[in-house]
Amino acid sequence: MGTPRPQARHADLQRNILGFCRLLRERELLVSPSEVIDALRTANAVDLGDRQELKVALRSVLTSKPEDIPVYDWTFEEFWRSAPPERVEERVEDSQVQSDPNASQGDDSEPQPAEGDDDSSEATEELEMPLYSPVETLAGRDFSAFAADDMAEIARAILVVAKRLATRESRRYRATRRGSAIDLRRTMRRNIKYGGTVIELARKARKIRKPRIVLICDVSRSMDTYSRFLLQFLYAMQNTLGRVESFVFSTRLTRVTEYFHSGDIHQALDRIAAEVPDWSGGTRIGQSLKSFNDDWSLRLLNKHTVLIIMSDGLDTGDASVLELEMERLQKRAGKVIWLNPLLGNEDYRPLARGMSAALPHVDLFASAHNLASLQALGRHLVV
Amino acid sequence: MLPQIAEIQSRLERQHYVTDRAIATTVYLAMELRKPVLIEGQAGVGKTEIAKVLAASLETELIRLQCYEGLDASSALYEWNYPKQMLHIRLQEAAHVEGRSVRQAEAEIFSEPYLLQRPLLRAISHPDRAPVLLIDEVDRADEEFEAFLLEVLSDFQVTIPELGTVKAEHRPYVVLTSNRTRELSDALKRRCLYLWIDYPDFEKEVRIIESKVEGINHHLAEQVAGFMQVVRRVRLGKTPGMAESIDWAMSLMALHADHLEPEAVNATLGAILKDRDDVNRLSGTRAETIISEIGRLDPKDLATAAPSIAQRIDKELAPRS
Ligand SMILES: Nc1ncnc2c1ncn2[C@@H]1O[C@H](COP(=O)(O)OP(=O)(O)O)[C@@H](O)[C@H]1O
Ligand SMILES: [Mg+2]
Repeated sequence: MGTPRPQARHADLQRNILGFCRLLRERELLVSPSEVIDALRTANAVDLGDRQELKVALRSVLTSKPEDIPVYDWTFEEFWRSAPPERVEERVEDSQVQSDPNASQGDDSEPQPAEGDDDSSEATEELEMPLYSPVETLAGRDFSAFAADDMAEIARAILVVAKRLATRESRRYRATRRGSAIDLRRTMRRNIKYGGTVIELARKARKIRKPRIVLICDVSRSMDTYSRFLLQFLYAMQNTLGRVESFVFSTRLTRVTEYFHSGDIHQALDRIAAEVPDWSGGTRIGQSLKSFNDDWSLRLLNKHTVLIIMSDGLDTGDASVLELEMERLQKRAGKVIWLNPLLGNEDYRPLARGMSAALPHVDLFASAHNLASLQALGRHLVV
Repeated sequence: MLPQIAEIQSRLERQHYVTDRAIATTVYLAMELRKPVLIEGQAGVGKTEIAKVLAASLETELIRLQCYEGLDASSALYEWNYPKQMLHIRLQEAAHVEGRSVRQAEAEIFSEPYLLQRPLLRAISHPDRAPVLLIDEVDRADEEFEAFLLEVLSDFQVTIPELGTVKAEHRPYVVLTSNRTRELSDALKRRCLYLWIDYPDFEKEVRIIESKVEGINHHLAEQVAGFMQVVRRVRLGKTPGMAESIDWAMSLMALHADHLEPEAVNATLGAILKDRDDVNRLSGTRAETIISEIGRLDPKDLATAAPSIAQRIDKELAPRS
């Protein structure tokens, strides 16, 4: 009894670090046993009374790209704030219970498809995600089926999905350059006998451009159940992918890219709700897209842009305006994707006047009613 | 804060490097865990500078390997001095040295005097103390080269077939930087601690300008930083980094400006904008708008005002079709 012996405290710390690493791994950071060992060494090397120090120190061990950082910071706050040592023990056990038994056993050796060293093939990538990841248990559920309490959980999952898209994207554009260096040493050896000529070979670089992404999200009343999830998605995309421009509209268009620069999603959402005119009002898709075309498209759209519109297509405006504006958009953009949350419903047919006017000018028409559908987007973020 | 970390922070600050906690802590850990640090960030955020000030503060040599496309193992490690070898062979021929085997001839020319040490070998064979090895802009090298680096960074030893194995007596402190033009391999990342450096916020930028631009008054430093914070948020062809802020502040000083005013700004805009289109976009009324907005604000509001000013400028810039 009495005060815990130093050894006991040490064991607590170790458990905490392990639990924290596990959580990060579930959230798809590159955390293998060697990082865990470094994390333990790090915890022993810093001032544990100083939480900020622990946070930045572990961050340099446990992250490996900028997209990881929002996930890490978030997870750190969540884990270390909410978890005094006793609770952490439970937490670690909890997550073991929830885990897929195969997955939790193979922690050390099991390959991590999404983060592995060699590029897994495009088609199987989604299927091979570890099953115990929090995303997977939520993936199929329609956004409208979540209660307000689930918001935090789903927001985290959305962040993970956005990170996957970002990771996949940078992988895709990781230049595969071929080396064909000349072996001067061997050339020289030959020269000893024969004497020789020097040959110079030049190589050319291949330039690859990543697409820029422009997101336009409908926040009118008919989209209420979905838009708060989709805005989380906008936020997450912007913060993991960079090169993303975000707009929202109901009756008018507003650029919200800057709103999302603040580190806090709630602040950003509050600001949008306060400053965006007619939030949750009627819908004038055609007019809103017209002002995008007039004001922004020249600067933001080109053949390397993927434009993503998220809307149910229920337009109260003039369908011929919408059609014309869609045509203009498609001319400029590399690809136009329309995500309609209603598509998740099997009975839905895109017959609404607006939707059918827009469809001929859309390159991809897909659903956006759950996490799985957002994640499936990864395949299409190319031009 | 651990005293050792505070010590690193103040040592780097003494080299005029504005050092936040994350940077000081990562440097400390790199020494503690004996791992290389990979620093990523946009151009001009102070990545390369860290290695330089680290070497200076440790009073040790900085050895720099600048990466480029096509960089191969031999130019990074060592090369044989081929012209010298060639010359030697020719001389031997001319002297009609007889009775020597090809093997002997080889042994002669593949020996120390014909060896050219390149940065990696120099870093490994440093005679008296651990140097700082800066592997700069590693994203510009090929993936093959990355794999090779990984080997060197694992063992800190290399084998030169003709001469034998060289092993580091003083393991260098290694800093790698990348501008992220491509993603590095997971294997290399695993070897390293990771540090992401963002563009500085307003306060940090003020401090950097003040530490790098001698004699600048606080007011001008704040205005320059405030202006740069806005410019970085406007959509431009090429977003300026810290080098540009510093250059600009110096140009303004050269014009004896003690605050931002339109004439001086328009005359010096070339210091921050390297792209002609960008200059056209911002010069004239746009620059004036930013200046007057900044002039109006209390310094403590400058830090947070940049996004909304930038948004206004962006809107003005949006062309009408
Ligand atoms: N934190 C800092 N403190 C002092 N000077 C800085 C800082 N960050 C950047 N600089 C200055 O900005 C310029 C660009 O930095 P550099 O290290 O070359 O950028 P990078 O390698 O990231 O492209 C240099 O002149 C450097 O001295
Ligand atoms: Mg540099």
